Amino acid sequence: MRKKITLLLFMFISFCLTAQTLNVKGVVKDATTGDTLPGVSVVIKGTTIGSETDFDGVYNLSNVKKGSVLVFNYLGMNPKEVVVNSAEINVSLEESAESLDEIVVVGYGKQKRKDVTGSVSLVGEKTLEALKPIDATTALQGTTSGVAVNLSSGAPGAKANILIRGVSSNTNNQPLTIVDGYEGDLNSINPNDIESITVLKDAQAAIYGIKGANGVVLVTTKIGKKNKAPTVKYDTYAAIQQTTRKLDYLNATEYALVLNEAYSASGQSLPFTNVNSLGRGTDWQDELFNDAFLINHNISLSGGGENVRYFISASRTEQDGIIAKEKSNFIRNNIKMNLGVDISDKLNFSVIANYYTSASQSFTGSLLFNGLNYAPTFGVDEEDATNFLGIEVVNPLSLLKNTFGENNGNGLEGNFKLSYKPIDGLTVTSRLGYKIYNEKQRSFTPIQSYGNSKVYNQTQSSVYQFKATSTRVNWETFATYEKTFGEDHNTAFTLGTSVQNDLFDGIYTTGFDVPNNSYEFADISLTNSQSLQRSLNTGNGDVRLTSYFGRAQYDYKGKYLFSGLLRRDGASVFAADQRIDNFWSVTTGWKASEEDFLKDNETISFLKLRASYGTLGNLVGDNLYRSLLNGEAEYVFDGALVSGEAQGRLSNAIATWETAEKLDIGLDINFLDDKITVVADYFEETRKDLLIQDFPVSGLLGIASPGSSSPTVNAGTSKNTGAELAIGYTAYESDNASLNLSYNVTYVKNNVTEVLDDAIVRGGGFAIGNLPPSRMEVGQPIGYFYGLQTDGIFQTQAEVDAHPSQTGLGASTSPGDIRYKDVNGDGVVDFDDRTNIGKPQADFYMGFNISAKYKNWDFSTYLYSELGKEIVRNYERFLPNVNKPAYYLDRWTGAGTSNSVPRLTNDATNNKLFSDFFVEDGSFLRMQNVQVGYNFSSDVLEKVGLSKLRLYTTVNNVFTLTEYSGYDPTINGGAIGAGIDSGNYPSARQFILGLNVEF
Amino acid sequence: MKRYSQKIKLGFIFVASMFLLNSCADEYLDNSKIYAIDTESFFNSETDYYNALVAAYDPLQSTFINVLLGEIASNNTLCGGESATDVPGYQQVDDMTHSPVNSQLQNLWSWMFGGVNRAAYIIEFQDKTDFVGKEVIIAEARFLRAYYNFELVKWFGDIPIKPEGRFVFGDEKSIPRSPKAEVYALIEEDLKYAVANLTYVAPQVGRATKGSAEALLGKVYLFQNKFQEASTVLKNVIDFGPYDLVTDYNSIFEDAGENGVESVFEVQYTDIQGAGFGCLQCSEGNVAVGFQGVRGYDGDLFTSGFSFNVPTQEVVDEFEAGDNRKDVAILDIDAWSASTGASFTTGYEHTGFFNRKYIPRKRSTEAAGDLNLTNPNNYRAIRFADVLLMAAEAFNRRSNPDDGLAKVYLNRVRARAFGVANDVTSSGSNLTSAIYHERRVELVGEGHQFFDLVRTDRGAQITGFTSGKNEVFPVPLEEIQFSQGNWSQNSNY
Repeated sequence: MRKKITLLLFMFISFCLTAQTLNVKGVVKDATTGDTLPGVSVVIKGTTIGSETDFDGVYNLSNVKKGSVLVFNYLGMNPKEVVVNSAEINVSLEESAESLDEIVVVGYGKQKRKDVTGSVSLVGEKTLEALKPIDATTALQGTTSGVAVNLSSGAPGAKANILIRGVSSNTNNQPLTIVDGYEGDLNSINPNDIESITVLKDAQAAIYGIKGANGVVLVTTKIGKKNKAPTVKYDTYAAIQQTTRKLDYLNATEYALVLNEAYSASGQSLPFTNVNSLGRGTDWQDELFNDAFLINHNISLSGGGENVRYFISASRTEQDGIIAKEKSNFIRNNIKMNLGVDISDKLNFSVIANYYTSASQSFTGSLLFNGLNYAPTFGVDEEDATNFLGIEVVNPLSLLKNTFGENNGNGLEGNFKLSYKPIDGLTVTSRLGYKIYNEKQRSFTPIQSYGNSKVYNQTQSSVYQFKATSTRVNWETFATYEKTFGEDHNTAFTLGTSVQNDLFDGIYTTGFDVPNNSYEFADISLTNSQSLQRSLNTGNGDVRLTSYFGRAQYDYKGKYLFSGLLRRDGASVFAADQRIDNFWSVTTGWKASEEDFLKDNETISFLKLRASYGTLGNLVGDNLYRSLLNGEAEYVFDGALVSGEAQGRLSNAIATWETAEKLDIGLDINFLDDKITVVADYFEETRKDLLIQDFPVSGLLGIASPGSSSPTVNAGTSKNTGAELAIGYTAYESDNASLNLSYNVTYVKNNVTEVLDDAIVRGGGFAIGNLPPSRMEVGQPIGYFYGLQTDGIFQTQAEVDAHPSQTGLGASTSPGDIRYKDVNGDGVVDFDDRTNIGKPQADFYMGFNISAKYKNWDFSTYLYSELGKEIVRNYERFLPNVNKPAYYLDRWTGAGTSNSVPRLTNDATNNKLFSDFFVEDGSFLRMQNVQVGYNFSSDVLEKVGLSKLRLYTTVNNVFTLTEYSGYDPTINGGAIGAGIDSGNYPSARQFILGLNVEF
Repeated sequence: MKRYSQKIKLGFIFVASMFLLNSCADEYLDNSKIYAIDTESFFNSETDYYNALVAAYDPLQSTFINVLLGEIASNNTLCGGESATDVPGYQQVDDMTHSPVNSQLQNLWSWMFGGVNRAAYIIEFQDKTDFVGKEVIIAEARFLRAYYNFELVKWFGDIPIKPEGRFVFGDEKSIPRSPKAEVYALIEEDLKYAVANLTYVAPQVGRATKGSAEALLGKVYLFQNKFQEASTVLKNVIDFGPYDLVTDYNSIFEDAGENGVESVFEVQYTDIQGAGFGCLQCSEGNVAVGFQGVRGYDGDLFTSGFSFNVPTQEVVDEFEAGDNRKDVAILDIDAWSASTGASFTTGYEHTGFFNRKYIPRKRSTEAAGDLNLTNPNNYRAIRFADVLLMAAEAFNRRSNPDDGLAKVYLNRVRARAFGVANDVTSSGSNLTSAIYHERRVELVGEGHQFFDLVRTDRGAQITGFTSGKNEVFPVPLEEIQFSQGNWSQNSNY
């Protein structure tokens, strides 16, 4: 009380003395969490007078004129201005999603978003929290422009692939992933541990040199804040998963009728004489798909003292598959620790460690294929003992029973980092990154029989075991010096070096005659040690990289920005005279909104133009310059098979990495006080020295010998051209309500501009006995589909006779068969009439997000779309008696009945050749996620000692709009051979119920 | 200020030392020797040489295509198969309509050069490591290189050669096609080395012997009309080699007859390992055998195949009455079916005859699939009967003929064929004709006839044969393209 009186008295006196000044003090808090914020800058507007909040978020400013304005600034928060009219001003700062002051990691450094001159996308914690990805990679799908994510499969634990600005390489399009400075992977991290994901899309990534061409994904994980009381967060959710789709296939009655028709068309006796008794038969898809459970627990502890910051977390995810959950599931555990210690004012030490284990069971891709093709007339336990369906189609449930495979792994990754600031502006950092991963696999093939001479039959049981350790060590040291010359010339220099070593050590064994034909005994030690087939093999890898890099940044008054960077890389995987190269880039930016003519513009609150150009590498082509003795050398001496050693793939002494040349021109423009943000980019990438496997060379070189093959040659160039646009709109924002919208779209066009000797690279596979459907060829996109073009169905014999002869395709043509176009106009239809009938990569990728808050409720939804891509339907086995898709119900049965689906017959036809009949539009729009949450009010929570309690429900994969008839149009859109759907595991729809607790 | 400069200095030293630590970086990148043996770091022990030798023998198995296609090319057989479009590359050769675009000829070219390169690999590194008995391995490698080069020169005429070792990328643009004479000179040189360093008994059954090398050398001389040299070296095989004719002609081609006393060189096959159409040259079995089998066959003794390479009535009629070889060499499927009840279906160009020496026999239960591609029948590449007939021809045709000795050799073969003496008594060119006739019937189905016709200027006997063109086959078009103008195409293709 006395204190207060004294204070009042003091104030009064002060007031008397100066009349118009105040001594202002107050506390600054985070509006969302209510935490006090240390280090907030408080400046009197129009002056350089100011202060900073202390550890408790408290600031003091003396002699502040009444009526002047205080500006509160804190990184990652919206700045706030308050007019001084009392001595105590407490402020809450709002966190801002798209803040220009947001810190962006850009590779060996950080920048404020407004100063970034490269093309960068950012995904923050909020997006990750909303999307609940099991693999954080999937959180990039649709949330960032220029980034596409493809799932190789919907199976639990399946890896997702990131594509940044399209497919450039036919070898590897995976971006480099850097986690807190060490090279890692997104799928080994607990998504809850991630604070932000930054994607470097242009030549700015040249600081990563030989690994930067596919773009760089920079992951920053969470660490506690200094002087913050320990916070415990517990998040959990559980989900029911089910398939998003089942394919429309014939039921038993329809199937029998269709088969009878085909047999009678060929003049054969009918296979089903009593169709009426068949009913619907067995729906094999129903038998294979099941509802499956998913559960996730996550707990973390974070906080900090005066010299220490820490974050510790643990998590567990268990996911069952929506197909055969007892044989398809995934478990991952993570333990994460981030610790930062200020040893002194100048010396900081930090440790990051992420330990994880994963266990998964999976089955071969042919299960769904068999499920679709196995006849519905068979009972659940019934084998096709007479090979009615041919030797390649078997009862999928029996196949599943005989499938045993598990994969277990555990890894430890992270780094140790020491930062030293000897003088103002200079920081020297040395860090040692590591990643150790141990993996083991076991698969068991029991003796099994599905009927006479089925290809899946096994007369001998076997077990395959694989164990491997991958180790990566990376030591980087770099110095950064920042200095402002005069008042306006800001410079920063970075100089560094890096050494990396990747080791692989694996052992592979196969044993035969597993005791009791049982998985319980499936171990090499128990197999027949006398078996000649028993095999033991090892694999080794040792990849070394040494690098130097430097960067200079300069800006004038923060208005004109320039940077230049250079990296020299040496990689051991190339021949000695080929292994070193330099990569470089320059970037520039102009913040027009800092110019006088825009400075106080009320509409345009921010405007920056930027451009970048440079070269980057893609480290592919391991040891291509060497030829190993892994060919086949087998001959018979003394009546017994003997093995020797022979050359495998031919060497290519001048093999080298791929090089990208990237150009980006961008515009960042914000309107109406940053309520509307727009980021637009135009980009071009030329990828040179594409490595082409099995490049055709002369037979003189011995490439056709058993086990040998053509060398891999740098023999192609591709070019990606495109544009992307991201728009954010804060439609409404107040203390208890907000509405944010964001939209992004990316257009990419790929074109192969050069292949050595104009060779055509073929790949992929369609059905059996067809020519390879995918190609890489000058003037076409990588991996485009090359096949016949259809032109309806022949309705009459007269139409057949009037059309150029199709006999060159191998079979005679009748009414009801597919009419193919004579593309080259030579008067006959043959394989020379094949042409471009589609491509696996989309033209457009789009994402749309709405998030809203009203009082205690929050809502968000994410949509994702790909437009302009094709998918090859390749899950039909073309045999007379297998089950068929329901579209055959609309088949041609006589003149005028159908102009799209050919007749049914068992005669030889050309209808099963690879044509656009099997190529479908794969465009789609998917609602990825919709979520509703409820936050309990803080006054309620305080009573139970909690600071946050939120309940939410989410649906993932809500719906997909597409004309594609297969399971999942999100199928992999990579390079040659991509976009061919052989019955891929569809992604699951998930109904999630979750809880966030914080105290 | 002093403190600052000290710290700057410290920081500088720190950074500089990091760079110094990296200064040995380029050496650090040299890790190529760890755990992996590549083609250039091999040949460090006797075992390495032996293993490379196994690799050099392996492509012999791919010579099934030489035998099959060689026979199809001749006037002995028609192509057959399922239909007129079944393996177009074979059909075209049968009809003598083949062009430089022919994937089967491309296979033959690539597979034989694969063999050349595997043998040359050993020769290239012959001086790297010493051990007792190395000359045997080198001699076998040179024998094999000669074998593959001889096949290539027979098929394509002039071919690129590289005596010192393997062909490497770029050689196709710089090494010309050597004239046949130079190719033969290299083959002779290789074979003479083999003759000098090998013995008549191989360390393992299946490996080349002194006799193999002498017989092949004799054949190589014969192909160059060097009858004097041929007669000498072939007589050597007859006089000093451990070979003899097997009494029962039929037994030669059955499993029990493999590597018998008549076998001078034999390509070894087995069926314990599976094979697929994706890599026919990888099969450890004799692919030609399945291709020649009776289509849809179900019955005694044999199993089914793809009905290629079917003998013509003309070659069947070439056999004299009483010749026991006819029923061994030719399967008359109608007669056989009538007597044993076997069933079969007919393929394209069905003549009713099959190449009985090399059609699939019933298989053991351990045989690995695809059974059509894994038949274990060894190919009797050089039989002693062939040596006798070559010697007879050499003595008959050399500038100072010895028809007496020629007839001794010829009649030795005939006596076995007829079971009793059935001597040819003529001499001079009549004897030459008799020897040609004898070669055709003795060796029918074994892939020699086309080349015998061509080397003796009798190619015109083949339907569709164009003299001055079809003596050799065209170099595959792709190869001409790879050479970028270095190689020109054979005449008239």
